Amino acid sequence: MVAAIGGSGSRPMDFNQSVASNSVRYEDVSMLFPGNRGAPPTLAIDRFSLDVAESEFLVIVGPSGCGKSTILAMSGGLATPTTGKVFLGRELITQPGPNKAIVFQNFSLFPWKTVVDNIEFGLRLNHVAAEERRHRIDYYLPVIGLKGFEKHYPRQLSGGMQQRVAIARALVLRPRLLLMDEPFAALDAQNRTVMQEELVRVWSEHKPTVIFVTHSVEEAVFLADRIVVMTRRPGRIKEVIDVRETAGAQHWRARPLDQVMRHNDFQDLRARVWGLIRDEIVIE
Amino acid sequence: MAILAVLAAWWLVTTVGMVSPFILPPPAAVLEAAQRLADGYLGASLATHLEASLSVVLSGYIAAALIGVPLGILMAWIRPLAILFEPLVCLLRPIPPPAWIPLAILWFGIGLTGKTFVVFISAITPCLINAYVAIKEVPPYLISAARSLGASNAALLFQVAIPSGLPMIASGLRIALGTAWATIVAAELVVATAGFGFIIMSGYRNFESAIMAVGMIAVALIGFLMNLIFRKIEKHVIPWGEHE
Repeated sequence: MVAAIGGSGSRPMDFNQSVASNSVRYEDVSMLFPGNRGAPPTLAIDRFSLDVAESEFLVIVGPSGCGKSTILAMSGGLATPTTGKVFLGRELITQPGPNKAIVFQNFSLFPWKTVVDNIEFGLRLNHVAAEERRHRIDYYLPVIGLKGFEKHYPRQLSGGMQQRVAIARALVLRPRLLLMDEPFAALDAQNRTVMQEELVRVWSEHKPTVIFVTHSVEEAVFLADRIVVMTRRPGRIKEVIDVRETAGAQHWRARPLDQVMRHNDFQDLRARVWGLIRDEIVIE
Repeated sequence: MAILAVLAAWWLVTTVGMVSPFILPPPAAVLEAAQRLADGYLGASLATHLEASLSVVLSGYIAAALIGVPLGILMAWIRPLAILFEPLVCLLRPIPPPAWIPLAILWFGIGLTGKTFVVFISAITPCLINAYVAIKEVPPYLISAARSLGASNAALLFQVAIPSGLPMIASGLRIALGTAWATIVAAELVVATAGFGFIIMSGYRNFESAIMAVGMIAVALIGFLMNLIFRKIEKHVIPWGEHE
């Protein structure tokens, strides 16, 4: 499928005609948080404009407090920009919904629901027929390696397993947009590597557009089609890096991480992205 | 272990004659009193006393749970309701339940209705407050997760907030049951013609300290059993909870 990317100069009408249904567009998005108890308001995001192509894997990195998570929340309809607009395809994003599924850092599984019930919950909420529910769950359980754990409660699972359930809970809805907010930050290094590779595998099945926020430069370089580096607060786009230019015809993510890591181009890109972020870090 | 030590000390102190059997009856006398009680005491069988106390506890308690839990949930979910009821709850809460007994007698007489009322008052506070806090403290990330999965407001309340708060609601219900039991005994100390508080008070009035002791031990055992049964049910109904 060809993804149409509306240029930043295109008029709204052109944009409406050429837009791919799963693309994401940020139009001059700013977020101003009101100050508490007379403190001045905080500008968290400053005129963020970007087009994300259908099925693109976009990773946002930046120093702490640069508004990465706020961008994700706005993309998921959990927060409304103070000014500007976010579109998914032609649809203005105003509220959360199953077509923009979110995977959270702390997994956010429902502790009173078993693995299957957690995965099924979104399907039930959206009145997916029983047969189709069973069909999709039967498909995802082996994919996330949790066959045999159907009746387990989240607290009986390891962190990596919990996050796999959370990813399945999102993917089972066949979302057009998959939003991931530092999904692997709570995992240890080994689990993290395994999960990054597994995510690529699971994502490849249907390829929803992904917006992925992380602190890890390595993770960003490995997973991304493009990396957005943010400035420190107020968050602006500092640079957009197309990873595909250095990774060659094949993506980094198509190969095992330990092989990719030994690649000079990978290391160079990692150093470059880290340099961009380091310039933004201020020790206060 | 501690129970055995207390029993041993009790037996020792009363057997060597350090205290008069009137102040502290020896275990043998208490066992004998227990036998008298089991055979029927003051014109009522043990079953009658048990029924007198338990029926009042259960009716007052169930009414408190049926009103307190939904009210607490609604107060947490609907802000104006909280503003409406919170001052009332905060003001009435410091009154110890037994302090309601005279008023209950004035309003309802010395029958069962008055005692049920006092039990209701004692049990509703823990039901309401725990339900309120349980819903208030539903982790915001669970709400966000559910909304992003497509949950409506009704689904958020019934399928996320309430199940999430269930362990805390259950512990409120368990605390309320203990409070209700303590309160009925207190009420029976004041006015009653049957029940365990009545047994304790009769023992006191008739200079039968062994009867008094049996009454107290019975109150303890029944309270302990109620808690045990409740925990069993809790474990069954809330299998995901962190039970020790």
